[in-house]
Amino acid sequence: MTTATNTSTPAPSTDPAWAGLVWTLVRTDFKARYHGTGSGFLWALLKPTAMFVVLVAVFSLIFRSEPNYKLKLIIGLFLWDYFADSTKAGLASMSSKSFLITRARLPTWILVVTSLANAIVTLTVFASIVVAYLLATGAFPGLPALIAFGGYLAALVTITVGISLGASVLFLRYRDLNQVWDMAMQAGFFVSPIIYPLSVVPERFHFWLFFWPPTPVIEFTRAALLGPTLPTTTANVYLGLLSTGILIAGAMVYRRFGPRAAEYL
Amino acid sequence: MPGDEIIRVDHVSKGFLVPSVRRDTVREHVLGLLTPRRLDPLRVLNRVSFSVRRGESLAIVGRNGCGKSTLLRVLCGIYRPDSGSVATSAGITPILELGVGWNHELDAIDNVQLMGTALGLSLGAVNRRLDSILEFAELERFARQKLKHYSTGMAARLAYAVAFSAVREVLVLDEIFAVGDARFRARCENRYRELQQAGHTIIIVSHDARVVGQFCNRALLLEQGELIHVGDPDAVLASYRTVLDRSPETAEEIANAR
Repeated sequence: MTTATNTSTPAPSTDPAWAGLVWTLVRTDFKARYHGTGSGFLWALLKPTAMFVVLVAVFSLIFRSEPNYKLKLIIGLFLWDYFADSTKAGLASMSSKSFLITRARLPTWILVVTSLANAIVTLTVFASIVVAYLLATGAFPGLPALIAFGGYLAALVTITVGISLGASVLFLRYRDLNQVWDMAMQAGFFVSPIIYPLSVVPERFHFWLFFWPPTPVIEFTRAALLGPTLPTTTANVYLGLLSTGILIAGAMVYRRFGPRAAEYL
Repeated sequence: MPGDEIIRVDHVSKGFLVPSVRRDTVREHVLGLLTPRRLDPLRVLNRVSFSVRRGESLAIVGRNGCGKSTLLRVLCGIYRPDSGSVATSAGITPILELGVGWNHELDAIDNVQLMGTALGLSLGAVNRRLDSILEFAELERFARQKLKHYSTGMAARLAYAVAFSAVREVLVLDEIFAVGDARFRARCENRYRELQQAGHTIIIVSHDARVVGQFCNRALLLEQGELIHVGDPDAVLASYRTVLDRSPETAEEIANAR
C-alpha cells in the first residue's frame, strides 16, 4: 500500500494571495495579446466582423429566403469565435505558463480559467452590442428571452472551461494536440449551423448535430433573441446537462493528470 | 509533528517511467499502436526520510543526477511523491531553475508581479516591495524593458531578488550563489545571513563545499536516490568526497568539493 500525501498550509481558494495572481494573470494576458492598448482590443471584435462582411456578401444571396439571415449569421460567428478562441487559449494555458508551474506551488486550474478571461470579455462586449441593437431597432425580445440568452452564454462558458481543463493537461502529454484541435475546429465550423440555416440539413441528422456543443448554444440563442419562440424546457435541460457533463468530464481529466503536470514540462 | 519540526519527509520514493521509445504526440501514439513499447521505471528517490527543524540551515549534497533537484521539487509540493509523505507546517518559497522561467514578452515589473503572486504574495505586498526588488537586482533602469532584452545574468538576478523578498517561513534554494558577479553574490550572501538571523528555515542544494561549510549547520548526502549520511556539514562533506573518489567523476565536481 502506498500513500502519497502533501499536507500543507492554507487552502488555495481562501488564500487572498491567489486573488492577486488571478488579476495579474488576466491583466498580463490582455497586455501581451493587445500590446497594452485598449484599441488593440478592437482587433478581437474586428476579426468576426470582417468574417461577417465577407460571408454576408456571399451567402445572403443564397439564403435569401431565410428570415433575419444577417443577424443569425453574426450571432453564430461571435459565439463560434468565442468557442474557438477560448478553447485554443485554454488548451495552451498550462504549457504557456510552464515557467510558473515548475517554479511555484500553485493551484494550476487558475492558469486554465484565467486564460479564458480575454475571450469572455470579448463575448460580453458582443452580447451587450447585440442587446443594444435589438433595443434600438425596436426588436427587443423581452426579459425572459434575455435571461435565456444569459443562460446560454453561461452554458457556453461552462463548456469551454470543461474542454480547457481537460485539454490543457492532455496537451502536456500529447504535444500535437493543438494541431488535432485546430483540425477539429476547422471541421467544427462547418458542422455548426453558422453560415447555413439548420433547415437545409435533412431532419434525420439534426439529432446528431446537437451533440456538437456549439450547435445547441447557437441555435437556442438565435431562437431566444430572434424568435419565433423560446426554446422548450426540454431543450434547456438538455443544454444544461450537456454543459455540466462536459465540465465534469474535463475536471476529471484534469484531476487525473493535473497533479503530475510539472513532470511533463 | 514535534514542536520544532517544520518539515517531515517520510519514506518518500519518486520514480519516473522512462519509455524505451518516447512518444510525445497523438500521431506517434496512433502509429505506435502496432509496436508496443517498454516502460522502464527510473527510481530517482528511494525511501528517503528526514526532518527539518525550525530555523536550521540544511544542505543537500550529492553527485549530479543523485536526485537532489527531484527531492527539492517534492519538498516544495511541485512533484507528488509516488509513496511516502511530506508534511509541512509552514509556507515554502522555492528558488529553482534560475535564469529561465519568465514571460519574455512582458517587462520586469509585470514579471515580478506574476512570479511574486505565484509564490504566494498578495499583489499589494508585491507592489510595496517592487522598488527594493529592483534595487536588489540592480535593474531599476530596466524596469520597463521586456525580459527578452535581458541578459541571462540580469534575469537570474531578478529571480533571486523576487524570491528573496517573497520568502515565507522556509526558503528552498537550488544551487545558491551560482549567478552574478562577485558583488551580487556578496549581496545574496548578506541577505541569506539576514534571513538566517531572522529565524527562517533554509534548505539549499549545492556542490560548493565552501557554501555548505559556511552557511549550513546540517547536511545530508544523497547517492543514487538514497540518503546515505545525515549530520554535521564537515562530516557529510567528507563522505561526499569519498563517494566522488570511488566513482569516475568530472574534475570539476571534485574540485568544488574540496
